Amino acid sequence: MKIRKKYLFYALAFSSALIGALISSLDTVIVNKYIFDPWAYGFSCFIVGLAVTFLLALIFSIPIHGKSLGSRFVDPSFERLRFVRRVEVKYHVFAGIGNSILTVGYLHLLSMLGDPSTVLPFSQIVILYLVVIESFVEKNIPTLPEVQSSIIVTFGAMLGSISLTGTITLDSMFLVFVVISPAWVLFSIYQRKLKMLRVDNKSNDSINIRFWNVVFSFFFSALFIFLYDVLTGSSHFIAGFTASYRYFNWVALVMIIAFFSYVFYIRALGIGKASVTQAVRASTIFFIIPFSVLLAYLNVIPMFVTTPVMIVIKIMGVILVFLGIASFALTLVKAYIFIRMKPGYPIEETMQKLWDIPGVTHVTAVAGTYDFIVKIRIRTLVKGYENIIRRIEEIKGIQEYRWNSVLKEWEEI
Amino acid sequence: MIAAYILIEMRPGSTDKAIEKMRKIENIVKISVVAGEYDIVVRVHVKNLNSLLKVTNKIQMIEGVRKTTTQVIEKEIAL
Repeated sequence: MKIRKKYLFYALAFSSALIGALISSLDTVIVNKYIFDPWAYGFSCFIVGLAVTFLLALIFSIPIHGKSLGSRFVDPSFERLRFVRRVEVKYHVFAGIGNSILTVGYLHLLSMLGDPSTVLPFSQIVILYLVVIESFVEKNIPTLPEVQSSIIVTFGAMLGSISLTGTITLDSMFLVFVVISPAWVLFSIYQRKLKMLRVDNKSNDSINIRFWNVVFSFFFSALFIFLYDVLTGSSHFIAGFTASYRYFNWVALVMIIAFFSYVFYIRALGIGKASVTQAVRASTIFFIIPFSVLLAYLNVIPMFVTTPVMIVIKIMGVILVFLGIASFALTLVKAYIFIRMKPGYPIEETMQKLWDIPGVTHVTAVAGTYDFIVKIRIRTLVKGYENIIRRIEEIKGIQEYRWNSVLKEWEEI
Repeated sequence: MIAAYILIEMRPGSTDKAIEKMRKIENIVKISVVAGEYDIVVRVHVKNLNSLLKVTNKIQMIEGVRKTTTQVIEKEIAL
């Protein structure tokens, strides 16, 4: 099926956000009712997650009429569960370290603050971290509209966190800024790198990435918690195994739902930048509100008392987040540039020069009327002239080029 | 696998219907409506040149398609 790529991206990111809100609510129930130790719960997520994710990946590997179940329903790039490739290992190491720190840090925050609708918005500060990091590690430096939109989304999400029962302490601020956000950056940047990787000459798939991420996260969380226990004399390591056994059903339920949330998230990461994906995923703060009300109604968290001022602030936050997401969606300019060369200039060298231009996403050497077809992605047309046309005109040997702006696009999913 | 771009010039007023038909052609992986020298750019993934010919034929049979230019990809660098 070919659908518009933009729709697919937003559908994946919003689905991931909705499922993420459900997971946070379940986390709250578990942290408040069953497993009170966030270290033990975080570790048990990976212990149980290992089994659950393995089983799900196996089920999705079942072939039906030549295509696996996973390829039909979850990710078209998925064929079957496979061993991690050597080229993937270093990325999985970083993503695994990120995920294990993130999970334990997040659950600590949840056990400190109680209400998930307070925890989730505040952790959206990670979008700004991602914008900064991307300007160093990605070829495509964030443009002013991207930075503006990220700030709007982040501040909107933070405004949304002020209302309801939320009490923000210095400890929780420290956790968000120094532990959770950097860990989340590590986790998402390296998962994106994995998704962009070509494995066996094909696009990498989100199901294998998720499974191997859980494997590596299990390993690193076991290592960190064991070392922490040795240093402090605590017993979170054993408590993690005990919790996995005693509350297997609850943790398994969370990890089954988390599987789908992260698979959609990884697929979205393969389409958009990590910061933009995270900004769309910030919509999780709206999805969490009904869940929070339900949890308060069920007496899992204390019933909150709010005032009209708080409601106005919350609405302002919601509007800002939507404005930020809309400006991400509406400010993307894509174009093909068809290039013809003069004879006598090396193809490979020119290809590299074209690739070095910021905003270029594809450079293809072709046989036919033209010599190169370049695809670009920018935020404004002005940048198209300043950053791209000027740079192309500087390349020696280009006889002529033709700019064709993309108006609409459909892609095989 | 062979990848190629097919650049298409259309007769005015027939783009929407042509896109609907192209979306049903199996080997077309991307369809971009563009403004410039061409009207539509499609990306095709096929097993061999014979299959590429079949896809090109299917596109040329679509009502409103005036001219196609096929550009076979020899090398690619992508994000």
